[in-house]
Amino acid sequence: MIAVVLVASALILLVGYLMAISSKDLVRLLISLELMFGAVFLALFPLFSIPEITATAFGIAVLAIFTSGGELMILITSLIVLDKQIRSISTDEITAGGDEA
Amino acid sequence: MDLVTSSLLVMCAFAVLTSFAALLSKDNFYSALYMSITLLVIAGVYALYNVQPVFVLIAFVFVGAVGAVTVVLAASYRYVRPQLNLNFVWAIPVAITMAVLAYTLYSYVRYGVNIAYSETVMLNFARHYTVLALLFISLSILLMMSVVKFIRRESV
Repeated sequence: MIAVVLVASALILLVGYLMAISSKDLVRLLISLELMFGAVFLALFPLFSIPEITATAFGIAVLAIFTSGGELMILITSLIVLDKQIRSISTDEITAGGDEA
Repeated sequence: MDLVTSSLLVMCAFAVLTSFAALLSKDNFYSALYMSITLLVIAGVYALYNVQPVFVLIAFVFVGAVGAVTVVLAASYRYVRPQLNLNFVWAIPVAITMAVLAYTLYSYVRYGVNIAYSETVMLNFARHYTVLALLFISLSILLMMSVVKFIRRESV
């Protein structure tokens, strides 16, 4: 049954990747990142099956949730600032590496 | 197969289906809603096996805070694209990778779900990882302060 959880996690992760590649705007990119983090949370589930490392698994889960939450908060801020600066959230407007066009 | 195992299978299938719905939706708002449902179902998997703290962290912190902001942003910047938001050139290698990964995991991972979580885990965590918890709280406060400062500087 652990295999089913891991397969579901891998499928959600790949859907997140495909969504990030296909995204035309930053909101969709944000949604795809959250899906990827969701897949990571599901992949952590089997760690709770090992009695010796349950506390460590909980620590890893807390670490993953806090860091991913912080990362998404930064992306949300960037989205708002980008909209303020160029009045668009389209990924086509962003030049490579943040260089000026 | 007992009720808990059946529920796990249904929840995993539902999480994958809603993630596909988020991918295939043309509207960002519905896409964000489907994403929130996916994350809630993932949190529900932890609740199913009585790992309540992780359920609370995912459902309240991740879906409740970040997910809600994403839904609001998607509603604010709402526009429906006429065509599907899917890059078909990349869809083929992704589908092949999915098939290979699914076959490999299903063939070689033969363990059953035997969740060993108990109340003492939280006590052990609190005893051994106090510094880590303090670090996270400090990190969150610093992050929020820098974000507020950044927004204020941009608005001038």
